[in-house]
Amino acid sequence: MKKAFWSNSKIAILGGGSFGTVLANIAAQNCAAVTMYVRAEDQARAMNSTRMNPNYVKDLVLDSKIKAVSHYEKVFEQPLDLILFALPSHATREQAKIVAPYLKGSEMILHATKGIEEQSLKRISTVLAEELPVVRIGAISGPNLAGEIAKGEPAATVVASAFDDVIAAGEAVLSTPRFRVYTAHDLIGVEWGGTLKNIFAIASGILDSVGFGWNTRSLLLSRGLAEMVRFGVAMGAQSETFLGLAGMGDLIATCSSNQSRNFRVGYHLAKGETLDAVLAELGQVAEGVRTTRIVYEFARERGIEMPITESVYKIIQGQWSVEQGVQHLMTRPQVQDEWV
Amino acid sequence: MIDPRTGSHPSVRFEHHPAVRGEIYRLDDRSYRQSIIDEVVARTLQDVQYQDPRLLLEETLYHERMRLRKSRAHWLTSPYIAARNQRDRDFIRSIRSGLRNTVGLEDYRHLLENYTDHFGSEICGNFEPKVYDFAIRAVPWMFSWLLNAASLKRILPWGMSESLNTRLKVVGEVDHLQRLAEKGTILMVPTHMSNIDSILIGYVIHLMSLPPFAYGAGLNLFTNPILGFAMSRLGAYTVDRQKVSGLYKSSLKNYSTAILKRGIHSIFFPAGGRVRSGAIESRLKLGLLGTALQAQIERYQENHPNPNIYIVPMVMSYPFVFEASSLIEDYLEQAGKHRFMPNDGAEPFVLFNVIRFFWKLFSSRSELWVRIGKPMDVFGNFVDENGISIGPNGTSVDPRRWLMSEGELKTVPQRDREYTQILGEKISTRYHAENVVLSSHLVAFSLFQVLRKQYPQLDLFRFLRLAEAQRMVPMDRFYEEAERCCAMIKKAANSGKLHLSHTLQCGDVKIWVEDGVRQLGLFHDAKVAKIVTHDSAAAITTDDMNLLYYYRNRLTGYGFGKLDEASQSRDIFGETDEKGFLV
Repeated sequence: MKKAFWSNSKIAILGGGSFGTVLANIAAQNCAAVTMYVRAEDQARAMNSTRMNPNYVKDLVLDSKIKAVSHYEKVFEQPLDLILFALPSHATREQAKIVAPYLKGSEMILHATKGIEEQSLKRISTVLAEELPVVRIGAISGPNLAGEIAKGEPAATVVASAFDDVIAAGEAVLSTPRFRVYTAHDLIGVEWGGTLKNIFAIASGILDSVGFGWNTRSLLLSRGLAEMVRFGVAMGAQSETFLGLAGMGDLIATCSSNQSRNFRVGYHLAKGETLDAVLAELGQVAEGVRTTRIVYEFARERGIEMPITESVYKIIQGQWSVEQGVQHLMTRPQVQDEWV
Repeated sequence: MIDPRTGSHPSVRFEHHPAVRGEIYRLDDRSYRQSIIDEVVARTLQDVQYQDPRLLLEETLYHERMRLRKSRAHWLTSPYIAARNQRDRDFIRSIRSGLRNTVGLEDYRHLLENYTDHFGSEICGNFEPKVYDFAIRAVPWMFSWLLNAASLKRILPWGMSESLNTRLKVVGEVDHLQRLAEKGTILMVPTHMSNIDSILIGYVIHLMSLPPFAYGAGLNLFTNPILGFAMSRLGAYTVDRQKVSGLYKSSLKNYSTAILKRGIHSIFFPAGGRVRSGAIESRLKLGLLGTALQAQIERYQENHPNPNIYIVPMVMSYPFVFEASSLIEDYLEQAGKHRFMPNDGAEPFVLFNVIRFFWKLFSSRSELWVRIGKPMDVFGNFVDENGISIGPNGTSVDPRRWLMSEGELKTVPQRDREYTQILGEKISTRYHAENVVLSSHLVAFSLFQVLRKQYPQLDLFRFLRLAEAQRMVPMDRFYEEAERCCAMIKKAANSGKLHLSHTLQCGDVKIWVEDGVRQLGLFHDAKVAKIVTHDSAAAITTDDMNLLYYYRNRLTGYGFGKLDEASQSRDIFGETDEKGFLV
């Protein structure tokens, strides 16, 4: 029953970035039709004619069921069963507002954004719930570097939602023999896990740049995880979630891969470049820089202890040198903590 | 444009709206009642179909035996409950003898059916139009007699002519509600502060020219012979909170589903019981609330002509609360455990006290506010005048689509629990937004705050035991704090987070403080706030810290005073504090 329904389903993916494209290709294996919304008309046209999206994912041939469009009317021409948001955090609300009138209410919503809304500190699923006439919303998160998935290397993700309906949809649509779906109800934990790890990716880049070895790196990862748990629990998440793919898993992938934008920000900062110079060179916004500031300020106000975040923040702001940041962490008073 | 402060209805005009005979009139028919009971039994048996019938029977018997053992009802003091208990004992005996002589699974099923039928018949309410017609004449007459008799005592200039409308403010979405009552089924969800609520709600429903509502009433309301007689014939169904067995709870829920499904307007208190702390409910019991969604699904499936069920919050603001001191004692005892030292003495709910309450209310210039909140659908979306659900960004929502899972409109237990939880949160949010703050609440809040600031290091329970000399606050200091608090809630009122009474809206600080102090002093023997002369200067103080805390709590949940909440529920930072700081 379930399989039959989803293999006849029609889904849409909003956002033509690297992860969106990869997800579209996966979903096409399980669904009847996949529509991809991309902003630029020529990108859509190129994707439809060349069956490639080379600016984002090299060497990935798009499945024949995928159709790229650049107008929302076209996306919603036919009733959809699942809509996947793969947009940067700052664009989500604005796009959701535009999409809202098209929705019928029976669609399931998933998003793959690893970030939060800047001013309000709201999670993306909350933003979507505020803007869309739908409440069955979930998130996809995990160690999912798009390039590796595109090559067909084995990988897994977490689909989280309060609703089993959404989880079942995510499972049916995204499972393939090379891509495994785990499920969770702790949406708060999964979304915060994906967001918070970016802070430590910057820190990891800094350590790599300075040339510290594996002891230091794993020190960062484990104490970073402790900070993620502390913050996440304060936001209403369950600590266990952070031990899984969407927490520890994602943290390891992002902190070890030098492809990560956040990692590169840290790497160049530690070489003595200013933040503006680094960001300009990167050409894209690194979510981690914003996340660090928001999380740092929030945690300080609320008395959540996050020393690594504090150091990263001060290094980013140019207030501390790397050495000062490291010294701050290593010479803190001894603490008692469950997560040692 | 509706004025947000006074609502759409400055004073309710009732008679103009034609009363529709509601579906509830059919309860008068015996076979109709039987069909409901049969449905309750069938549903309940279906709920428990995968459980071992013998274990379930034994468990139910156990709970019932325990309850009866603890019950202290005596024939002389509470004949009604004693009679019920006797009936239950007899029934239990028959079930037990049945259990002893039973061998087969079918026999157990049969016994289980008997038990459910016993519960169902006990819950099921009756409705007799004659009693209703009598009551709707008698009650207003009684109220106005009481009102005028009480007023005369004070020789008010308007003497006998005073009408109830000046004292009982029914504001909010009255028109809207009246219209929706013809388009669908209403589920009214009031806040629950006091036992007076039940009487008041029945009366307000009548004032609004709505057909009578069915509602779940606690056993204590049936114990008074007059009230009990009326209640059991006015569509009230019996809720016995002492019965804790799963089978009973399931029967109760199924009764609610069955009557909502039949389109009988209903009322229940989603908080389960009266709020002990004096705060506005933030935690609702979702079990009963879920029956609305279930009934909604079935009405869609059966293609009823007017299928929609509308949820209408209702918030009552009392200047003083009938059983405040026993409630807050209860609350503090639970929250504080060893840190709290209980006093004795509680007000029993007897007719004399009820009359005394209304007498006090009417003989002073006190106002009682009832605010009808914005109607919502079963998911907590607002509905417009035509009964269409409105989603975010002004989109219209078809609730049927929200109930589609894998292409079918059906019940999905996990999904429905989540929906119900969302509805519960919405209702609680609306409760806060529809609350009308009275001068007495703000006086209590300000006095509590100003005292608390003097002793910030004290644990709450130690603080509540301040000595009398320590509770004295010079008047000018108090005014300062009062003005600060007033500015704070005015700001909140302007952004739609709550409403203010007329006195608070226009008054300068001296006027509303005086009014508030007077209201707080009316009903309770201990003065909650009083102005005294201390060291030849005016000062304000309180006789009863617990009561002060109780009235002050009405303004919690808005983020006005982060300190001092004994329970941590709304005080945890992050996601759970949607009321304040993330905005």
